[in-house]
Amino acid sequence: MDCTRFEEIVHDIERPGTEGFALRDSALAHAESCANCARLMTDVESLDAGLRAMSVAAAGQQAPANLEVRLMAEFRRQRMASLRWSVPRQIAALSTAAAVMLAVGFSLHHFMGPKGHEAPGVTQLLNRPASPAAAAGSGTAQDSVNWIDTDDSEYASFIPLPYADDPSALDEGTVVRVEMPRAALASFGLPVAAMESDGTVRADLIVSADGTPQAIRLVPQASASQE
Amino acid sequence: MTQTTDLADALLLRRIAGGDEDAFSEVYRQKQPALYRFALHMTGNASVAEDVTQEVFMALIRDPKRFDPSRGTLGGFLFGVARNHLRKRWEQDRRLVAFDGDPDDLHGHASIDHGGIGSANGHSAHSNGHGGGVSSAPGWDEFASVEAIARVRQAVGTLPENYREVVVLCELEEMSYEEAASALGCPVGTVRSRLHRARAMLVEKLRETRSVRRISA
Repeated sequence: MDCTRFEEIVHDIERPGTEGFALRDSALAHAESCANCARLMTDVESLDAGLRAMSVAAAGQQAPANLEVRLMAEFRRQRMASLRWSVPRQIAALSTAAAVMLAVGFSLHHFMGPKGHEAPGVTQLLNRPASPAAAAGSGTAQDSVNWIDTDDSEYASFIPLPYADDPSALDEGTVVRVEMPRAALASFGLPVAAMESDGTVRADLIVSADGTPQAIRLVPQASASQE
Repeated sequence: MTQTTDLADALLLRRIAGGDEDAFSEVYRQKQPALYRFALHMTGNASVAEDVTQEVFMALIRDPKRFDPSRGTLGGFLFGVARNHLRKRWEQDRRLVAFDGDPDDLHGHASIDHGGIGSANGHSAHSNGHGGGVSSAPGWDEFASVEAIARVRQAVGTLPENYREVVVLCELEEMSYEEAASALGCPVGTVRSRLHRARAMLVEKLRETRSVRRISA
């Protein structure tokens, strides 16, 4: 080992797991034959002793006990503050959700009526479905509606609703004529702004076997008044 | 740091985020002493060390989710916060960098907690902690005095920050290179080379001090 190599490893010769520790014996042997390196080794050992003494002197030191007390108080305060904010937020979120659900429920009830009962807005049943029994099962109001024969070509003018999930209903579903506020057409994706927003409008809905509207067609005013 | 420790730390942090007071207290008691000593050794000022320790845990209280276990250990994260606060303080008051604050801070603590560095208790603990090799180490007699420790402390305090950090963590806190690298957010090789350089600088500084003492004597 030469002096350069000795200087490289001298700080690690007492540190297990290092290269210096592995070369400790040869480093000591070199120090015995080199006065400068022996002096360096003595200085390094003195430094180690000083650092260890300094470490021991500081070993038990820690922050004053009242710091923990202050921090715990702050922790509690922050937690209470976050709770104060989170409760109104939850109430607001629940209120909004409830309002949305009420609005949706009201709209569905208003335009389609509950399943198994004739919707209040239904004025007529058009063109019997493939399964008349299905239509017959639509409720007690069955007798009070008029069946209207329509040309198959008219079905081409039906517009599928955005949430339509039963393509077979276009062929087999029941067609019902309803009267609804013009503004409600927006919920079916129709351009309300182009029409008068007041008053009602008549439309034909194709309803699937489970009562879900699948397509809509506006009934011209003239045609509606004839019927 | 073991994976078990990391997992336990992550769980503790989750509990803290959920408002668990006991979890916060546990983390505080585990991590506070080393953080406080780190700040104390870096500044030489007990009051500043207390402030820095407080700021570290306030950061944890305000936003426990800031710690990302995938990016390192909780200890490393907290040391990182402490270093940031120390840097801010140094920017505010450059006097701390020169380490010319109240030099009695460390002595005061030492004498309160250990009855002085030269006490039997201090010596015994030191010997046990290092395999009994200390009492026979050359220079021990010289360093078994508050004055001698003050010289080493003074020398450590005049090191540039990056070098002082590794000396504090690896020598005074006895962290492994890996632990220090995690705490400092740098590669292990950087820790090793900085420590080597820092120790060489300390040897030089202590030689100079001894020369001055000999001349003045």
